[in-house]
Amino acid sequence: MTAATATKQALLQRLEGLHQIPTIPAVLAPLLRYLQQPVEQLDVQKVTDLLSQDKSLAAQCLQMANSPLFGRSQNVQSLRGAVMSLGFHHVSDIAMSCGVLNMLPGDKTGLDPVVFWEHSLGCALISRHIARKINFGDPGKAYLAGLLHDLGIIVNLWVLPREFRAAWEMGKSEGIPLHEAEHRSMGFTHCESGRLLAERWKLAPELTEVISYHHSPEKSAEHAGLVALVQLADLLCRMSGLNYGYLEERQVNLVEESGFSLLARHSTTLKDFDWARLTFELDSYMDEVHSLVRAIYRT
Amino acid sequence: MTTAPSLRAATPINIPPEPELVRIRDMIYQTAGIFHPDNKLRLLQDRCGRRMKELKIQTLREYSECLTIRPTRQAELVALLNEITIGETSFFRNQPQLDALRRIVIPKIIEAKSNLPLRRLRVWSAGCSTGEEPYTLRMLTLEEESAQLKNWSTEILATDLNERSLSHAQEAVYGNYSTRNLTPAYRNKYFTPQGDKLQVNPVARSSISFSRLNLSDDSRMTFMKSMDLIFCCNVLIYFDLASKKRVIQHFFNNLLPHGYLFLGHSESLFGVNDDFQLVHLPGATAYVKGERTLTGGKLL
Repeated sequence: MTAATATKQALLQRLEGLHQIPTIPAVLAPLLRYLQQPVEQLDVQKVTDLLSQDKSLAAQCLQMANSPLFGRSQNVQSLRGAVMSLGFHHVSDIAMSCGVLNMLPGDKTGLDPVVFWEHSLGCALISRHIARKINFGDPGKAYLAGLLHDLGIIVNLWVLPREFRAAWEMGKSEGIPLHEAEHRSMGFTHCESGRLLAERWKLAPELTEVISYHHSPEKSAEHAGLVALVQLADLLCRMSGLNYGYLEERQVNLVEESGFSLLARHSTTLKDFDWARLTFELDSYMDEVHSLVRAIYRT
Repeated sequence: MTTAPSLRAATPINIPPEPELVRIRDMIYQTAGIFHPDNKLRLLQDRCGRRMKELKIQTLREYSECLTIRPTRQAELVALLNEITIGETSFFRNQPQLDALRRIVIPKIIEAKSNLPLRRLRVWSAGCSTGEEPYTLRMLTLEEESAQLKNWSTEILATDLNERSLSHAQEAVYGNYSTRNLTPAYRNKYFTPQGDKLQVNPVARSSISFSRLNLSDDSRMTFMKSMDLIFCCNVLIYFDLASKKRVIQHFFNNLLPHGYLFLGHSESLFGVNDDFQLVHLPGATAYVKGERTLTGGKLL
């Protein structure tokens, strides 16, 4: 066994434990389960009551409900008003987003958890945007896939903070993609650590595939279209201001990415999609995401 | 978590954009190819406002009609585009684009030309206006001549249709507004004070040739051969679709296979040309001649 393989084995063993990782807020599981029912059976008051059980989550949801990112048309003052004006699907998107935010460690050395959350939220929004424009299935599913694609980074931040910080610093100083830096310094990437957690949490198969293969969509089996869509959204975020705290020093041609041809098989309208316009719109998303984060963290 | 958020009424972050303004934005993008994302709509509204004041028009709806229905709509679009691009010209205007040029694009060009005996970088500033762009590019390449462009020569062709802009460019004297982004290092190294203005010094004026050129002049466009880089910022927006297509085709033919076309911030070739491929650079975009299009293959 080489030294590198031994290190990888030791790190993976630590990952297997996954003890340090916080669970998602207790209220989220029953809430999301409740929201999976057919819409006609859902009750606004019940959703409001469930959300109110976690004051911090409720406050974050209210902040997000007032962001243009979720199509808000008027100032929402109450949680009930938020649920009513957003609709149940957006409530579940927002609750999950806040759930991810609450799972992040407080340590801001290395990859700042806030920056990471901005990237995840940005990727969720861009995935939803692309899904809508190319008529790719359920935009809500694309949002969730974009939001959770880097679940493995949360695992690494908690379980291997020192090793992951070294990988992030390598990525930043060399301007290379984070997964390449992880692979070079740890022998594996957040895709592998994410898969461990996704399997433990028994996440939906399409989410597990996105988490495991968003840097190699050609390896995905059943849900290659969704994996490919998230790969492209992730790339656009990393090449803009919604990155991991540094800009990658490279040139990306989306049509040459493996995800592009995979996604083209699932969408006949992809060839007519205006990537330049989306890139300009990213500017606006970026501003909104930053404002939203400032609003949530305001004192 | 850094700070526990409290449960209180949320403050609206932004007011939703006016639908009429969004329609004007989309119309400008479709006809001129320049896009105002939602966070720049206030700027667009301000520019429309200036035109509305001039025309003594009260509502955006009426102004929208001036741009779409009235017989003078083309002239009005040009007037609005002038308002939109006013003050756009300055040294080092688009820093992410220049950083990407230095760190990603120039190394790629050097690599592509590594086997050629002639080490020459050929740059075309198409629609150079009063000269800030070509001088910025020259300063950038001069800085690189002591590093990655060592033993390389640079040739910058700067063209514009407007004689007055060209003579201003050749005088190379600039006021505060144009020079606002200059760092003290560049200011000291490449400029000499002239009253309360600054003049580009002979070092930074070297290797640039200015000439008058109409981008619609097909016979002259054919002679702008063998370019590594073409910059064409806020010029194509004034062309109708057919002329735009012709100009872009000339750019395509005149660029070397590894060449790059840079447009202005938020300018796009969508719906104009399928031969160029959009590429993403850190914080910027450019257009390249895709390999598959070079071999005649189809993208999808």
